[in-house]
Amino acid sequence: MSNIVEAKSLTKNYGSFAALDGVDLTIPKGAISGLIGPNGAGKTTTLKALIGLCDVDGELSVAGRDPRIARHKLMEDVCFIADVGILPKWLKVSHVIDYVEGVHPRFDRKKAEKFLSTTDIPANKRIKDLSKGMVTQLHLALVMAIEVQLLVLDEPTLGLDIIYRKEFYDRLLNDFYDGNRTIIISTHQVEEIETLLSHLVFINKGKIVLDSSMSDLSDIYTEVLVDADKVAQADALQPIYVRKLLGKKSYTFESVPREQLKILGELHTPSVADLFVAKLKEEKHG
Amino acid sequence: MDKFASLQFYALLKREVLEHRNIFIGAPVVVALLLFVAATWVATQISQSDLAEGLRFVSALFDGLSPFDMAPFIMLLAIPFYLTLYVCSVIYLINTLYQDRKEMSVLFWQSMPVSNLQTVLSKIVAIVLVAPIFYVLVIFVMYLIAMVWLTILGISNDVDLVGIGYLFLAAIASLVLIYISTVVTGLWLLPSVGWLLLFSAFAKKTPLLWAGGVFILVGFLEDLIFGTQFLANWVASRTSNPDQYLIFEFQSVFERVFNYDTLFGIIVGSILIAGAVFMRRFTD
Amino acid sequence: MKDLILRNRYTLLVVTLIVYMGVLVTEGMITGREVRVIEFENPYFDFNSTNFEGFRERRNYNENETENIRIESYDTGDV
Repeated sequence: MSNIVEAKSLTKNYGSFAALDGVDLTIPKGAISGLIGPNGAGKTTTLKALIGLCDVDGELSVAGRDPRIARHKLMEDVCFIADVGILPKWLKVSHVIDYVEGVHPRFDRKKAEKFLSTTDIPANKRIKDLSKGMVTQLHLALVMAIEVQLLVLDEPTLGLDIIYRKEFYDRLLNDFYDGNRTIIISTHQVEEIETLLSHLVFINKGKIVLDSSMSDLSDIYTEVLVDADKVAQADALQPIYVRKLLGKKSYTFESVPREQLKILGELHTPSVADLFVAKLKEEKHG
Repeated sequence: MDKFASLQFYALLKREVLEHRNIFIGAPVVVALLLFVAATWVATQISQSDLAEGLRFVSALFDGLSPFDMAPFIMLLAIPFYLTLYVCSVIYLINTLYQDRKEMSVLFWQSMPVSNLQTVLSKIVAIVLVAPIFYVLVIFVMYLIAMVWLTILGISNDVDLVGIGYLFLAAIASLVLIYISTVVTGLWLLPSVGWLLLFSAFAKKTPLLWAGGVFILVGFLEDLIFGTQFLANWVASRTSNPDQYLIFEFQSVFERVFNYDTLFGIIVGSILIAGAVFMRRFTD
Repeated sequence: MKDLILRNRYTLLVVTLIVYMGVLVTEGMITGREVRVIEFENPYFDFNSTNFEGFRERRNYNENETENIRIESYDTGDV
């Protein structure tokens, strides 16, 4: 099996509000995949659906299992970190480790303790007495000590300062990722994870707007800083997004060959953030 | 059950005790302390010679009596502990599947390979089988301290303490009866356990209000639709006689558990518990 | 069908309560259930501390019987 996540037309309604409106998603094994979207786009609902914490309609397979049927079996292969608040506040650090060791068949206590020894987290403190950054470090330590195929991260660094955020992603890449494991990260701080990603998914208003590998992006999308005299020519090629930049105009094109664009001006591959804005604006206009 | 599954269950029980340590350990300790304060106050109101005289009388009274015959009397001393345990059980059961959803830690618990059935069962076992162990242990420590106290009092006043030794043995035997009584009561009240768990898993706010409100509503609907009061009758049968919560003799345990009413209650309780297990899938 | 029941917490609650009431009402109709108070006769409650010997004799007398369970029924239409 080459895809760890396969989803077809996932739908989820909260009353008359469609949180997911026919989401199709495939994430290849071994990918570091970014799920990017504005607030309320359906990121958390999608991720919760992947690990069986939220009922959805549609076809869904994660690590070869339907998460709606056997969540507890699936969770032997999948780990989940949500934005910082979810570790139980009343537990002591050592008790959390005891608990995970007790219930998880693939947890390696030594690994977790080794990781924790590199941090300032005291084992006898309660979680409510730790800083936000420490709680995230602790959760990461637990997750990294579990032999899993898929790690799902929902806004993992929300509310953390830059040092913790940097360290979080460094650890993730160096100590967790081994090329076989898959990571799905949802965030709206795109710039920070752009360099990590091998796969990119945009979601907006419960719909997938883009689902592509990073390497394909440069083939499909081109950003051109158009010279003033070539604006009319550029407009004719139907850009998906135009913005003003330092007196010039920056055009983003989808599936227009670079050969054709070369004459307009300087070519780039758009940054993920720019592409994100471009795709969202495109949605709005039609 | 394989070895890992039982280790897993142990970890789940440990989690319950740690999370609700006030209910499992704090509450009985407070009751014991209050009893001690009361006993000490009473002791200060009585003169040393009267105390010694009283001790002499009690010692003579119990001398030679079988501890098992006397255990039921001593058991009644534990009534404040029973009442505390019942109140605490209601608080525990109505909160246990609600609190973690409220504080969002449910996402952590549910991200572990533990099924909803295991989770709910661990909560029932924790309150029905494990909580009474802690209560009995606290009572045991209380008796132990009381015995040391009485012994010092007896020796310093030259009282023959053989009868007090019998009393202590009876107290130990009563602990076993207390444990059995609370566990059998847990089975007897399994429908209430299921009801509270169901609403604990269901409610987004004020689970106790939901549990109470729907209970009244369902009884009302039964009367309206069927013209019968089986629910009300049934509940009245189970709660109107406090006598049925205490077991005084080991021989009667079997018939207390294996009688029609208890077994039917276990079936009805299981329906509600199954509802709570399915309800646990909703994490919001 | 199963999906429909499990779709949201309200349908699940209603279905659970219907099954619960169904079992209770059916059982009630079959057994003609009324308020039944199960009383456990036990010698400890009529114990008189000034008469220990009498108590002991009674205990010995009852030794081979366990508790006698007496079931009392009485009519109470509305409880």
